[in-house]
Amino acid sequence: MSYKVDHEYDYLFKVVLIGDSGVGKSNILSRFTRNEFCLESKSTIGVEFATRTLQVEGKTVKAQIWDTAGQERYRAITSAYYRGAVGALLVYDITKRQTFDNVQRWLRELRDHADSNIVIMMAGNKSDLNHLRAVSTEDAQSLAEKEGLSFLETSALEAYNVEKAFQTILFDIYHIISKKALATQEASSTSVPHGTTINVSNMSSNTGNKACCSN
Amino acid sequence: MEKKRIDDYEPGPLPSPRALDRFGFFKQDVSASDSSVKNRSAYEYERIRGERSVRKWRKMIGVGGSDWKHYVRRKPHVVKRRIRKGIPDCLRGLVWQLISGSRDLLLMNPGVYEQLVIYETSTSELDIIRDISRTFPSHVFFRQRHGPGQRSLYNVLKAYSVFDRNVGYVQGMGFLAGLLLLYMSEEDAFWLLVALLKGAVHAPMEGLYLAGLPLVQQYLSQFEQLVREHLPKLGEHFSEEMINPSMYASQWFITVFSYSFPFHLALRIWDVFLYEGVKIVFKVGLALLMYCHDDLVKLPFEKLLHALKNFPEDAMNPDTILPLAYSIKISKRLEELTQEYEKNGKVVQSEEHLEKH
Repeated sequence: MSYKVDHEYDYLFKVVLIGDSGVGKSNILSRFTRNEFCLESKSTIGVEFATRTLQVEGKTVKAQIWDTAGQERYRAITSAYYRGAVGALLVYDITKRQTFDNVQRWLRELRDHADSNIVIMMAGNKSDLNHLRAVSTEDAQSLAEKEGLSFLETSALEAYNVEKAFQTILFDIYHIISKKALATQEASSTSVPHGTTINVSNMSSNTGNKACCSN
Repeated sequence: MEKKRIDDYEPGPLPSPRALDRFGFFKQDVSASDSSVKNRSAYEYERIRGERSVRKWRKMIGVGGSDWKHYVRRKPHVVKRRIRKGIPDCLRGLVWQLISGSRDLLLMNPGVYEQLVIYETSTSELDIIRDISRTFPSHVFFRQRHGPGQRSLYNVLKAYSVFDRNVGYVQGMGFLAGLLLLYMSEEDAFWLLVALLKGAVHAPMEGLYLAGLPLVQQYLSQFEQLVREHLPKLGEHFSEEMINPSMYASQWFITVFSYSFPFHLALRIWDVFLYEGVKIVFKVGLALLMYCHDDLVKLPFEKLLHALKNFPEDAMNPDTILPLAYSIKISKRLEELTQEYEKNGKVVQSEEHLEKH
């Protein structure tokens, strides 16, 4: 969104929160964006939205996060929001095996609707309920390796690893983007005809709203 | 599994009545004396106005609703006008059943609800249980784990998921059922849900919950068009900022404003909704945008989206927003748009819009 140059940030990254219903997506979002956890939260209907700005390697990065309803039938609405997303936090509940078994189906959803090089972090949420654990960390780790995902166990309730999960996603996206930017710069500098002034300040402001990462 | 978390926070004895508003919701901020004073005087005013209106209403419906049909046939416009002013809270449950056609369904199907609740099993049972404590969690009736509110809610939703296995259970239905259960018995609430989704009086609403959510897509696309026609400047601003109605209005349609709107406003909308049909949802939606128009047209994407999910308190006053909603004429245009939508590619439109993102 917002193609306009905004001096509040250098980059704008769209991230989607997905995973089965009841795994804690909305509370992960409220923990990350407002440092709040709500025990009496309602189930999400449709999509919700929040942002947070943070620093990644000296750059100001704004994360624009879309929280989606988890129930399968809602994908009719929510899958449209995968488009343009450069990151995804795929959440399951460590106390509910089914929500972990469904990770594959969510990955398929992303493959069908999202950008092919979207950065995906898998989060096993509710790690505070360790005594009710139904998914071992090892199982999750091996799935993450097999699918090439980052992985963390989180607890929105205890504010454990939520920050880190998002930071990792944003860091990874930033690295992909900055590599691409470098490649583009090199490519363009070789093709620039003699006598053309390369306006560096323009270029740096453009990085803030690249089509690939900002919408 | 979530036992530990929830039980820890379960209220022990009944909360003091001062912690609840008059509908049974826990007050958000008890210390906000300012707004409670305002609510109090509004409440008094409503009470006095209410007493007069209750007498009129009792005459109109007769004992147990016996005169209702006769009255509606003779004076439909009086009925419409009175409903728009708000059904008295003490008669709401009964009147809702009369105007929605659910009373007739109940009488025609004795014993069916019991059969569905007791003897049938549903594949949605776990999904329903998962959401029970997440439906009106701040209401005293639904807050207690396994309490009567949660049990009724479960029964109604389970019964419906068996009654119509194509719809089953979809998130959002719980808010409809929950709202109804605050005004009637389980069985009555169930039949009212049937009347709405199967279309006893108005067009069936089940498309809001069927696979693909076809009716949600249709309503959102129609709403977007109506915004462009009634509020062209705002419509233009929305497309510039890439605001799509699915970002803010899906809840309006899926739960008929019961998900996040102040309860007293939701009830007034439901009064009209049950009598006049879904067009009131469009009208209230447009009225909200109209009321906040001059602020909304100035806001950039993020602030705009925030504003669309958090309307100011004065916009939430039923006596402000409803008259504005009634003044917006859309019936004919809405019909045309429905026909156009049915002719065209349906889902394609809404997806194309998001494609731009």
